[in-house]
This record gives sequence, C-alpha cells and structure tokens, in this order.
Amino acid sequence: MHYKITHTTEYTYAGSISLCHNIAMLIPRDTNNQQRIKTAIKIIPEPDVMKEYDDFFGNKVLYFAIQHQHKKLSVSVTNDIKKNITPSLPINLCSNIPWEKARLQLFESRPDFIDARQYIAETGMTTIDEQITLYALQSFTPKRPMFEAAKDLMQRIYKDFKFDPDFSTVSTPVSEVMRVKRGVCQDFAHLAIACLRSLGLPARYVSGYIETLPPLGKIKLVGVDASHAWFAVFIPNLGWMDFDPTNNQMPGDQHITIGWGRDYADISPLKGVILSSGSHKLRVSVDVRRIQY
Amino acid sequence: MMTQTKQAYFSQLFLTTNYSYSELLGVDGNLQAHWHIFFESLKSLGQSEIEDRSRDILRLLKENGVTYNIYDDPFGLNRPWNLDIIPFLISIDEWKKIEPGLKQRATLLDLILKDIYGERQLIKTGLLPAELIYNHSGFLRQCVGIKPNNKHSLILYSADLARSADGNIWVLNDRTQAPSGYGYALENRAAMSRINPELFNGLKVRQLSSYFNDLQASLQEIAPYQKENPRVVILTPGPSNETYFEHSYLSSYMGFTLVQGDDLMVRDNYVWLKTIGGLEKVDVILRRVDDIYCDPLELKSDSQLGVPGLLQAIRSGNVSIANPLGSSVLENPGLMLFLQNIARHFFNTDLILPTIASWWCGQPKELQYVLNNIDKLVIKRIFRNTVASSNSIDVALLTKEKITLLKEAIKTHPHLFVGQEKVAFASSPSLVNGIIEPRNALFRSFLVSNNNGYTAMAGGLTRTSSRKDNMLISNQLGGISKDTWIISQNKDNNVHHRKELFKTITPALIGVLPSHTAENLFWVGRYAERLLGNARFQRTVMQSVTESNQSLVDDDVETEQILLRALTNFTFTYPGFIEEDTKDTWVELKAILFDIKRNGSMSNNCLQFSRSVYAVSNQWSIDTWRVLRMMEEDWMTASNANLTHFKMISSLDSLITSMVAFIGLNRESISREQGWIMLDMGRKIEQSLLLIRMLRATLVSYTNDDVAYNLQEAVLKSNEALVNYRYKYRVPIQLPLVLELLLLDPNNPRSLMHQLDKIKNYFSQLPKPSKSDQLSEHERLILEAHTLVKLAGKEQLSILNKEHFEYEHLSDFLGKIYNLLSVIPEAISKTYFKHAQSQKQLFTADM
Repeated sequence: MHYKITHTTEYTYAGSISLCHNIAMLIPRDTNNQQRIKTAIKIIPEPDVMKEYDDFFGNKVLYFAIQHQHKKLSVSVTNDIKKNITPSLPINLCSNIPWEKARLQLFESRPDFIDARQYIAETGMTTIDEQITLYALQSFTPKRPMFEAAKDLMQRIYKDFKFDPDFSTVSTPVSEVMRVKRGVCQDFAHLAIACLRSLGLPARYVSGYIETLPPLGKIKLVGVDASHAWFAVFIPNLGWMDFDPTNNQMPGDQHITIGWGRDYADISPLKGVILSSGSHKLRVSVDVRRIQY
Repeated sequence: MMTQTKQAYFSQLFLTTNYSYSELLGVDGNLQAHWHIFFESLKSLGQSEIEDRSRDILRLLKENGVTYNIYDDPFGLNRPWNLDIIPFLISIDEWKKIEPGLKQRATLLDLILKDIYGERQLIKTGLLPAELIYNHSGFLRQCVGIKPNNKHSLILYSADLARSADGNIWVLNDRTQAPSGYGYALENRAAMSRINPELFNGLKVRQLSSYFNDLQASLQEIAPYQKENPRVVILTPGPSNETYFEHSYLSSYMGFTLVQGDDLMVRDNYVWLKTIGGLEKVDVILRRVDDIYCDPLELKSDSQLGVPGLLQAIRSGNVSIANPLGSSVLENPGLMLFLQNIARHFFNTDLILPTIASWWCGQPKELQYVLNNIDKLVIKRIFRNTVASSNSIDVALLTKEKITLLKEAIKTHPHLFVGQEKVAFASSPSLVNGIIEPRNALFRSFLVSNNNGYTAMAGGLTRTSSRKDNMLISNQLGGISKDTWIISQNKDNNVHHRKELFKTITPALIGVLPSHTAENLFWVGRYAERLLGNARFQRTVMQSVTESNQSLVDDDVETEQILLRALTNFTFTYPGFIEEDTKDTWVELKAILFDIKRNGSMSNNCLQFSRSVYAVSNQWSIDTWRVLRMMEEDWMTASNANLTHFKMISSLDSLITSMVAFIGLNRESISREQGWIMLDMGRKIEQSLLLIRMLRATLVSYTNDDVAYNLQEAVLKSNEALVNYRYKYRVPIQLPLVLELLLLDPNNPRSLMHQLDKIKNYFSQLPKPSKSDQLSEHERLILEAHTLVKLAGKEQLSILNKEHFEYEHLSDFLGKIYNLLSVIPEAISKTYFKHAQSQKQLFTADM
C-alpha cells in the first residue's frame, strides 16, 4: 500500500523576524514494514542553512535556519511511503511470557536489551506517581503475559479517557491527564508510557500519521488529518510492539511511523527558536492520502 | 599521640585543645619539617599581628572585589570571599604521588567521555552499565556522534581530594563540566604573598600562575582548523551566578571577552559575537554555563542562558567548546567503582589514586548491601538534582523517618543511587576566631589538557567546613578557603619558587565591546549621574530646610515647601511631599535617602548602581574597586545609624566625593574607545534629563521675586554653578542669565547645550547600523533637541504669563526637549543592545 503524506506548518508573525533556527522531524524513517520512496521539502522563505542527519535513535532530523527578514514561515514536507501489509503475527506462540519474567530477562546482556533499557527511566513528560502505578497494575496483574497486559492497558485508556483537543497543551503533565481523564493522542501515549515505566518496563513514544477515512459516501477533504502519536512496548524475544490507545488498535497498514524517542521531546515534529517581540499565529495541515502505483 | 615537647609547642601557639593533628605528623610521629618551619614563622608574628593580618587578608580580598554569590539569599549577592591565614600544606613527596594520579584519572575520564559519545564500546562490553550512563541527566543524546576538534575531549578537569587519617589521598568528586575555583586559588595566593610574605620563609612553595598560561595556550590550541589567534570567549550565566567574580576575573586575566548567551548568535553554522560594531566570529568558548542550558533549540528549550543553534555549530566543527556539551555525564559517583576495571582495560595498570569503596544500587547485590548497611554510609545520587543542592547524604545524621523515605526512594530508582563508605578524614589546622581548630578540608586540584596529556596546577583551592564536625564542605554552606602550598625542600630542584608573577588586573582592554557590556556601561553611567544629581539636589534642599528652620520669614518657608515638592518630583519618590499632610519633613527626607525598598530613594539607586557595576566587573581597576567598596561601606554605615541632620548631609557629601572619584578614575582607566563612550553617553543623557526635571520642578512656576531668587540660587547651587554664575555675570541672580548659564552656554560643562554637544559627538563615533545615509532614530532625536536648544533665546524663555503665574515658553521648551531625550535610550538599545527582542519557542503538538 502506498501513501502520499503532506504535512504543512505555517507561522505568521506579528513583526518581522531576522533569524530563526528550526528542527523538523518530518521525514519518516524506514521500519520493518515501511519504506520511504521519496521526500519533497518546500520551505518558504528559502532557508540559508539546511542540514539533514540521523539522531541518536536513528530518526531523520532536518535542521534549517533562515537568516533574513521574514514575516511568515511555511514548512511543507511531502513523503511517499510504501507500507508492507503485515501478516497478523503468531503472537500467542512467544508472547506468553509473564511481564514480571520479561522484566527480569531484560537485564541479560544483549545489545537489543541494553538499548531497550534506556526506555525504562521516567522522563520530564512521563513522570510517575502512585495513581499512575495503580492504574497500570490493574492491567498488569500477577503473571499475566506481557503482550496481553499491554493490550489491556491500551483498551482501558481508550475506554476510560475522553478525546478532547481543547483540554491539554504540549506541557500538560500526565498526572493531570490521569486526574481529568481527558486528552489527545500525545497525552494518551505519554500516560501509557508512564504506566509501563512505573512497573520497570521499557516503553517508547512513536510519532507519525494515521489515515482517516471520510464518513461513508463523503469525499475526503484535503488537510483534515493531523500528526499522530502512540506508544510501543519492548517484549523480550518479540521486540517492539506498537499500540494506539487513541484508536484502540495495533498500528498496522494505516499508521505511518515518523520516528520514536523516550517522549515527545525527543521527536517533536517541528520546533524552533526565534527572536521576536510579538506573538505568532500557527496553522498546521496534514493530508494522508492513499495512492495507486 | 603527641610528645610532651610538641604539646608545649602547640600551646605556645594559643592552642586551646590538645587535638591530634595527625596530618601534621610524619611517619615517625614527629611534626613534619615544613609544618615546623611554618609554625615557627607564624609564631614569630605574634598573636595580635596574626589577627591583624587576618583582617588585612579579608580587606584586600574585598577591595579586589573577590566575592562569591549565595543562592536564594537576599544578602548573598557579592558575599566577600573568606581566606584562612593558615594554608593547606602538601609535601613534594606526597605531591609526587598525587600529580601522576590526577593525570592518569584525567586521561582515563577523557577516554571514557570519547567512548560514551562515540562507539560506546564500554557499555557494549559491559565495563560500564548502560543505566549508569543512559539514565544520567548529563548524558545528552544530541551530542552523540560529535567528533572532537582535538586530541582530547576533556579540556579542563578538577578533582576534589581529601586526606584520610592514615595519610592516604582520596578522590571524592570529579568535576568535568565547568570546573570552578582556579581564579579564587590565584587570588588566595596573591593575598597571602602580599600580606604574609614572611610565612613563605624557608619553604619552597610551588607557583600557580603557570597554570593560567597553560590554560590560555590550551584554549587557543583547540580552535577549529588550527586557526591562529583564535577568538576565545568566556560564556557566563551572568552576574547572579555563584562564581561570577571568577568569570570576570579570568576574562581580565587571560584577555578573553566575557559574554552572556544573548551576546552570541549562530549564523551559517558559525558562532558570532554581537558587538556594537557588528558581528565577530567566535572560535572557542570556555563555558561556565551548565550544558543543558547552552542551546534552547536542542537542549533545555526554556533556557535564556544559551545560544540557539549552538549544537549545530559544534556539530559542523566550526567552534570548540571547553568542556564539550555532555561532559557532565562524568560527574557521576556511580562511575567510581567501575574506573578500576576500565583503567586496567585501557592502560593495563591500576588506578594510582584510590577510590572510596562504593556500591552502585543498580546491581541487585550492591543494592541489598546498601539497604542493609545504610546508616554507616554516605548516599549519593548519580547526578545532582539542582545546581545549589548537595548530592551527598550522611545517613547517620538522618531521622528514622527520613531513612525509611530514603530507602523507599532507593528501591524505586535503585540505579540513581550510590552508597559510599565513610572515611575518617584527617583534619587540618584552621584559624577560627583567633584560635587554631581542627577542620575537615577538601582540596580541589585543577588540570588542563595539552597536546601531550594533562598539566596540573601546582596547588589548588582548599576549603574547610564551616563548623567543627561538619563533613559536608560547600561554599554555599559558608565554608572558608585556604591557600594550598606544595612544598619542596629539595634544594637542587629547578622549579622557581616564591616569585609568583601576578599580572596586574587591568580593565578589559579588548578591541570589541559585546552589546551586553555596552548596555551595562551605559546604565552605570546613568546611575552614577542619577546618584550624583539626586545627592546634590537633596543636599541643597536639606541645607535650605535647616536654614529656614531658623528664620521665620514667610518667603523662606514658601521656598522650602516648593523645594520639598520639587525633590519628590525630581527623585520620583511619590507621593512624598506632594501629599498635603506630610507628617514630618525629616522623616520623609531620611526615607528618601535610606529606605532601600522605596523606588527612587538614594539607597535604592545605590543598589541599582551596584548591580550594573557588578555586571561588568571586569571593566574596573583595583583603585576603582576600592572607591566603590568604600562608598558602599560608608553608605551602609550611614543608613544603619541614627544620624543628626548635619550627619545626614555629611553622608551625602562623602557619597558625592566617592562618585566623583569613581567617574574620574574611569576617565583614566576604562578602555578609551567604545566602552567609555557608552558610559559617558549614559551620564550625559541622564544629566540632561535631571537638569530639565529640576528646572521644571523649580523655575517654571512663579510665586514672588524673593522666592524666585531663592529657588534660582538653590538650582545654581545644586548644579555647582553658583560660583560660575557670580564669576561670569557679576550681577544679582536673574532668570535669563540663570537659563543662559544652565541651558544655552556650551562652555559651561554643566549646561544642557554642553551635554547635547557631547551626546551628538558620541553618536557620530558609534558604528553605523546600516550603510544608508539616512539618520538613525537616535541621531534624528538628538539633532532635533540640539537644534531646539540652539535656536532658543534666553529672553523669550523668561517671559512670564502673569495670569497663570507661569513661564509658559520655558515650560513648553523644557517639555519638548525632555520628550525627545527620554526616548533616546530606547532607540540606542534597539540599534546597539538588541536585547529588546526575547527568544521564543515555536512548536507544534501531536493530536
């Protein structure tokens, strides 16, 4: 299956800006079921400096700077992505390992385990408290297979929490999300990650897109999609397994991964620093479209 | 135990205890030779002389501006540095063991740092546990893969060492991020050798200053592309940082520009210094800003102390930074117990300096040990929570509840904690309140890299605990410092002794003026003039009040009332005398002087002045510091005393004398070019504004001729122009002539015309912001004001509107000029200081 994804961000400033530095993480990395065919980057005004490199996690980073006066910045990245249809995994064969046992096994000296263990520690956006731990323990009952427990956690978040784009901001702490039981995909991903880490299990934040389908009989409008996020958990011998608590599903053909990190801060789609005395307006549009080859 | 004779010897030295100074004794149990020599010299000074000298040391350090800031303490800013007359002595034999040990450790930590940010073989092979690095707040993933521009990554290294009771030297902490203290060490030595030269007699004390040459060379050596004569800057978080004195001291001593984050910018992947003359490329940054604060683009996004895009410039190899970002990962007590194996791995030898027995709780067995033996241990976190907090906990001092809490914290995050054996440290003799007491001492050593390896300072900074039984030593907790002497008695040693070359610290004579420095100098000028102007006017008012108390003439009382209201207007200390029923004139007058919380008061202005002076402390000469300290002390004394009216006026006299001395000294010593222009420009603008404010408050309204005469006399007096007037005109005081002298006469150095001439001239000397022929905003403003004054006539300004009892031409004229002049600072700021814009983050969220 092929997708063409266009992600456009526009900033309109109150005054004139003479210098801005930006980091975009908008170029999807290749994964075992996803391949990037091509990328087109259009930035207006044209950057004076631009550089592409891989970060510590292997994500694609695009740094650019605009060093001349401008009042508006538009960043548009279009990616052609090929998704391999994933056969449903024979999960049951190897996933019966209880989560407590999985946790112990992680400390074996294997490169993939060592790498996974860096995702156990809490971070600024996934702080752990007692409520989080108690919530996690309801899914992670004694000796329950790890995969099953993680899936249960996803389902419970989907059921217990209300999707509410007006409630949270980038910096809403998970404790607050837990208290009010509202949020957006980013909050649900952080919450799930905090839950898993509270039990000493490795979990990471995945940034990407999801294809949305228009209501039956309607034509899909351009730009109605949004950037999306979910979580993944590391299960020994099984590897990283993705879960989308916002949509209550295991990401498959309709999820496109950009990259991952310990939390949002490691993989925010676009961030920048400007010198300005005024405010700015932001407009984001995302379009995920299936294409035929 | 000490022998009878030694005890007698010590008691001669006004010792009150027979404490066993084990560290003073050699293996044979006798007092070590160098201590013997030192105590003989000390003894020959005599007790009262020793106390005198101790006071002199403090005075000298204070005059030299040596300070240390304490966080979260309103009186903690600029706390004077404290130095013990008794140094910390290290024999050459002992140093011969320590020095190679330090060099080995620096080399080892450098290799580890390169590995952590490179291949991470140590983690892959299990020599370092992943959690110890990956969970450390100093491990910056953004810095992984950055290739160092030079052989070494670790440019500066410091270790805190202590001597145990059995004479061994132990490493307690590693400092690898932005080690501090070497400037203080040098100032300590300077104070000791100036005040106590006799104490060095018979002892060959190794010198410190060559370390600074090595440091200077090393920083120049690490410049990218082997550039010759690279530009090196010192990046400071600013004047409120605890060791700001040192940042500014090093800047003066080594001739490197002192900058704050917003003095720098990144363009084209290079780092540039914003000066009032334009952008200058920066090659090397000696940073005193913690690593996560250095780049808000990629690290701590709300940091205002860093440079957005810095990491991109570093990644491109266009700037070198000492120490590299991410090096604080080595400030990690958990690392200690793995060093031995890593040393064997890299060097095939053992560590020369022993490490204190430690247990990292990230391993199950070690965790169990720590939990079982917790009350015998010191618990440390692998990284510090906050800059100001200590990361050591002496469990024996905790309550039961606190221990339970600590155990829980360890069990929840075992990999964040380390247990360390408590070592019985040797105490060091310290002079406290005239008697010698045993204190725990911590010795900080300093190393710097060069092409062949590392060089260590032959000395260091020793600090002792503030209380007798305190294990924790921290400047934040009020410790006392000691000079550190490495002593060689070996006669055929080639090392030069005693003759230390102290550079005279001269104000920074550096070609470029960072915009921050420029701004601060401008404000120093403004506050200096504001203090002077306020002091002179208030003095005049107080004299007038004193005199009119004696006469019962109505006009004098009227004059007094007008002057008091004018004082309120002039100093902006509303409501003050504007309010109808100001209870007591002198209570209010005193408050305007000494109430530091009141905006516009003299004390408040003194505070603002001190702050701006301190923010550019590398600009002042030693003599200037002395004047400033004296002024501060005198003013403090005056404001705490219950003064008579006469004494209050005298306190203003001495403030004025100090201020005039301050300005005079700077005229001689501050770097002649742009720095002086900035300061003097600030003065001239402030002087103009003050003069106009005074005239508006006193001369615009008319009461009767006698009152007008009194007011005009008071204004001339406050502007030091009364003598000038009499000499020039030889007629009784009359308004047109007063206005001519104070406003229009370009030859009177206190006239408005004179100030505007100067300002205009300064503006023409400043670098042009753009190439166009158009006037800049500030040039347009001054031209307009200048022209208005030039076109004004003294007779016209003196026409009285008899209906309104007002000189309305004068009023309009002064109002117009004031409005023009008062926006000039903002226009200058926009063009030259460029701090009007604040740094903002842009981000988007995932939905």
